[in-house]
Amino acid sequence: MKNPHHRSLLLLATLWLVMLLIFVLIRPAILQLSMAESVLHFSSMLALVGLGQALLILSGAGMDISVGGMVSLTAILTMMAVQAGVPAALIPLLALVIGLCLGLVNGVLVISCRLLSLIATLGTMFAYGGLALALTGGATVSGVPGWLLPWGRGTLLGIPAHFLTTVMPAYLIAAAVLALTPLGRWILAMGNNERSARLVGIPVGRIRFILYGVSGLLSGLAALISLAWFGSGRPDIGTNMELESLAAVLLGGVAIAGGRGGVGGVLAAVLLVVGLQAGLQYLNISSSWQLGVVGLLLILALLSDRLPWRFAKRV
Amino acid sequence: MDKADPFIRARGIGKHFGGVTALADVDMDIREGEVLALLGDNGAGKSTFVKVLAGAHQQNEGVLEVAGRSVVFASPQDAAGSGIATIFQELALSDNLTVTENIFLGRELTTKVAGFPILRRAEMRRRAIALLQELEAHIPDPDRPVAGLSGGQRQAVAICRALNINARLVIMDEPTAALAVAETRKVLTLVRRLAERGCAVVLISHNIADVMAVADRMIVFRRGRKIAETTRPDTHAEELVSFITGAHPSLRVLEQAH
Ligand SMILES: Nc1ncnc2c1ncn2[C@@H]1O[C@H](COP(=O)(O)OP(=O)(O)OP(=O)(O)O)[C@@H](O)[C@H]1O
Ligand SMILES: [Mg+2]
Repeated sequence: MKNPHHRSLLLLATLWLVMLLIFVLIRPAILQLSMAESVLHFSSMLALVGLGQALLILSGAGMDISVGGMVSLTAILTMMAVQAGVPAALIPLLALVIGLCLGLVNGVLVISCRLLSLIATLGTMFAYGGLALALTGGATVSGVPGWLLPWGRGTLLGIPAHFLTTVMPAYLIAAAVLALTPLGRWILAMGNNERSARLVGIPVGRIRFILYGVSGLLSGLAALISLAWFGSGRPDIGTNMELESLAAVLLGGVAIAGGRGGVGGVLAAVLLVVGLQAGLQYLNISSSWQLGVVGLLLILALLSDRLPWRFAKRV
Repeated sequence: MDKADPFIRARGIGKHFGGVTALADVDMDIREGEVLALLGDNGAGKSTFVKVLAGAHQQNEGVLEVAGRSVVFASPQDAAGSGIATIFQELALSDNLTVTENIFLGRELTTKVAGFPILRRAEMRRRAIALLQELEAHIPDPDRPVAGLSGGQRQAVAICRALNINARLVIMDEPTAALAVAETRKVLTLVRRLAERGCAVVLISHNIADVMAVADRMIVFRRGRKIAETTRPDTHAEELVSFITGAHPSLRVLEQAH
């Protein structure tokens, strides 16, 4: 496989097959429709967060480690606002706006203050996540109105409502922007070679700043789903999402250095990561092990980018 | 604009990077239909000067006039808007994008669909093929990523970029630096073709033979200053070399003055 993008997609397809095969061999009952539905259900939040992550990495802006913190803090702040008297009807808007603002803070730190993205968002990850815990003392914040719950729990045509109404449009829009608009070319160009992108006049800083905002917005949307699903704001809802989203993005064929990849692979990888965790759950394997497996997948994705490359150099 | 007026008139251009003086008090006229070569040792300030022309750097001192009007370029976009296209020493191509995409990068043709700008791929491809043919650049497939192209082909793509924005001045920073003989010849032919189309061409090169082959006028930089200006009929390779190395007798006086 010469083309590294094809190579990553091949790896992804292989992992999918291996996973299905193993589960089928161990416990055939695992392959049932309700399982597929619950995987989709659990996938929505990670898919949204992973999309923002994917766009940032594609553009060469670096990664956003704070996505999980943004989801937790957005969920908490939204519900605290409602408890403080803000009309519950504003919950969707509130979650989006809060998520956007948290994302833009990352944008200011990385783009305006020129901090290293990894370090800056590591800082905000702890700041956001820590604040969510500190504000609540670790307790959930209730008060989600009943009218929001069907969207978080129901299905349409066998597909979870929130997956249908958020993940599918978000990925379709992102794929269309990447493939059909100048902005898509610019994101790929600046991810590949920032200097040359600047020289042809692409507003690299502005686009990356906006993408940090988009990552925040999508995290806000994920927080909204969590509210509608669980009926309350949980301060730890975003835990481990940075690891899972990075694993999904890299397994999905997005090059860690930027400039290569697409969002379709990311969605497939999100389903893989969630499917794997759900399968392990089904086999009663503890969530710590599940997390370890995701970590392994992340390393595998990084290696697949690297190993043949070094090999090619030696030949 | 009078026919004899230069397209670009630069006066007293100075540029500092922290404590480093990269350019000091440079005057220059650049005329359409003429190939102007900039020469000078490494670090002499050639690239810095053309980056000022290209809007990639802003000068600290001096004025720049384009077609008789004083301009300040905040970005390469501004310069492109004034008809100045630059092919930088670090070729501004994106390896992951195709030939066509690179030619149009940052200036894509679009149509509005429901208010959104959508790429006109077929039209861009058609124009890219036409430009490549006009330059007789031998690039078989405009849909291939530029990563696989030869050095000369990459130059051709970059020149197409310049033609595509109807540039009146094309600046080329060491276009033949990494090229073999045959490719170099092709690029030099492209340079002459640009001038014959009525473009002004500024060419930076360390290769005296190339310069003597294509340039109408030569300007030599040394330590950020313009130290010599001459034309092809008035000079020869040895003289240019002595200007560049600082060995030319006329330079002694200058060196003492500064
Ligand atoms: N961005 C920058 N920051 C700091 N110093 C710079 C920068 N760009 C150029 N310089 C300095 O300015 C001076 C002129 O550099 P410039 O690149 O213009 O030289 P040049 O004539 O193009 O050399 P070469 O032939 O090696 O390309 C050098 O001393 C260089 O180190
Ligand atoms: Mg240079």
